[in-house]
Amino acid sequence: MGEDKKEKKKGIKFGKSIKEFVYGMAAHDTARFALKTRGSMEHLFILITMGDMLGIPILPPYYSLRLLPYVVPQISTWKRRMLREKDFTDTLA
Amino acid sequence: MNSVLLPVLGAVVYLVGMRVYAAYVDRKVIGADPKRATPARMYADGVDFMPTSRSILFGYQFKSIAGAAPVLGPIIAIKWGWLPGLVWILLGTFFIGWVQDYTSAMVSLRNDGKTFGGISFSLISPRARTILLTFIYLYLLLIAAAFTNIVATALANAPRIPLAIAVLAVAGVIVGYLIYHGRTHLAIVTVIGLALFYGALVLNGQFDLRFGSDHTNWLVWVIFALVFSLFGALLPIWSFVQPINYLSFYIVLIGMAIAVVGLVVKHPAMQRPLFAGFTADSLPLWPMLFVTIACGAISGWHGVVSSTGTSRQLQSETDARPVAAGAMFLEMMLALIALAIVGITAAGAKGTPDQLFASGLGSIFGFLHLPEKWGLAYGPVLIAILAITILYLVVRFMRIAANELMGRVMPVMRVPAIGTVLALVLTFVLVTTGTFKYIWVLFGSANQLMASLALMIGSIWLVSEKKKAGFALVPMVFMYLTTMAALVLTCWQLLRQAATGLSLAGAKLPAGQIAGNWIAGVIGVALFGAALVLAYDGTTALMRFGRQKRETAKGVA
Repeated sequence: MGEDKKEKKKGIKFGKSIKEFVYGMAAHDTARFALKTRGSMEHLFILITMGDMLGIPILPPYYSLRLLPYVVPQISTWKRRMLREKDFTDTLA
Repeated sequence: MNSVLLPVLGAVVYLVGMRVYAAYVDRKVIGADPKRATPARMYADGVDFMPTSRSILFGYQFKSIAGAAPVLGPIIAIKWGWLPGLVWILLGTFFIGWVQDYTSAMVSLRNDGKTFGGISFSLISPRARTILLTFIYLYLLLIAAAFTNIVATALANAPRIPLAIAVLAVAGVIVGYLIYHGRTHLAIVTVIGLALFYGALVLNGQFDLRFGSDHTNWLVWVIFALVFSLFGALLPIWSFVQPINYLSFYIVLIGMAIAVVGLVVKHPAMQRPLFAGFTADSLPLWPMLFVTIACGAISGWHGVVSSTGTSRQLQSETDARPVAAGAMFLEMMLALIALAIVGITAAGAKGTPDQLFASGLGSIFGFLHLPEKWGLAYGPVLIAILAITILYLVVRFMRIAANELMGRVMPVMRVPAIGTVLALVLTFVLVTTGTFKYIWVLFGSANQLMASLALMIGSIWLVSEKKKAGFALVPMVFMYLTTMAALVLTCWQLLRQAATGLSLAGAKLPAGQIAGNWIAGVIGVALFGAALVLAYDGTTALMRFGRQKRETAKGVA
């Protein structure tokens, strides 16, 4: 009985791996680019509204402060992404 | 020999390579640690850095590295006989190919997910980054020229398929719109897209789509491929490139599945000569075979993919081996299948790579009792799709590279359309004036040099980390010397023909071809110079880290 269950679990795991492999070939890059596009738009928005955090004052601080609570969860990843060294090979994959 | 033995030998190399050699390097030399946080986990931002399952990444890595080159390389190299190609594919993958893909992923993984540009800046020298990025631009230009030629030749030689390729573009736009704006179910969208493509293929099967003389017709398809790339480079990626790539995946999968089943069912014998001599088409086996079969054995492109996309998504260090090395071994199988398909064509059959592939695929369709003419049409379809789906991405990258490399000095290069048109004009000039065999060899040389540079970065990192570097250093030296020798020979032939105005056989060359030889020769010399400077800086860095390693060892003692 235990053996059967183990075999079944193995089969399910293998099936899942195949499904993920096909997804990886067919659509993972599409999902990744969609996320990248959304990420770029969001980061641009934060740059405009919270630019003074990077020393680029664009919007008067009053409005930035009003928006700050909504941006807090993303600040650390946003800063890292904005300040990370990039070159054109970043867009290759 | 039976053609099925090729993939069987591949499976043996796969098992020994993955389970023994790669496993040893992963555990004992690199010391992959499942507990160490990867960049994907440390910097998870849901955009670039994202922990992803290894099965998904395996598929993603394979799709990113397997384009037209692993199929075309073995077909072009059949001129030396099938045995040299087979030996190089098997041994090249076993000793060099996976090492490069895996090491590139690990270097980036242990350096916060940095790309080659950033790593070469910190490990080698500041100028190494600029030279490397310029080198990559020339490399992309050569890919664009080689693949434009392949698409145009395939469409010109098979006048019953071009409508399907044109409709694929339209189907891609429709599919993109339905997915992102129509919110239609993916299965329905896929059926609609494929129905449009196969409908166009059947319709075009009733008439020839050809324009004027052979040369005019070829030129029309060159322009078609470049306009296709113009859209691919300028339109938002979701509206054109991604949906076409998505549909192409199924079209290629169907073709390759039929090829594999046909080969297994009939298991025909290889018809082509085992060995055709040390020189073919005025090109010696060493070093030319090693740059002709590029991606099937080792490719610089893989290192770039491993160090940018994959390294930032690996959720565990121990996944790097099955993903990066595993995908390389699977690509070796693809190259072996391509070699088997062309190997079963008649011994004396001649033609362009798409014609040879079509001939082999036609026979395989026959083995499965399908009409042979379907295979004859599907062969060039596969070649054209595999090449064009890489081509527009390459032009897109060239557009971004023009902005990055020249945007500060020439602000006009920041305009996307200008960067794209520059890439397309350069490609057009190279394709229409150059000779295909030299463009392919230059592309292969740039590709293999890129691979040896990736191995150099990997070796320097290994030495800097005080690890054993021999498994990467020896392949790097072999690839570097082989590729530089190939470049010297190619440049010599090109520039001699350009200077004398005579072909190697002594015939007078037309003015266009002389200009093409000058352009290709100068690109070759530029690649050679860039590689020399990088090797000098790399050796200096290697010696610096080597000294540090010895001093540390002395200090400990």
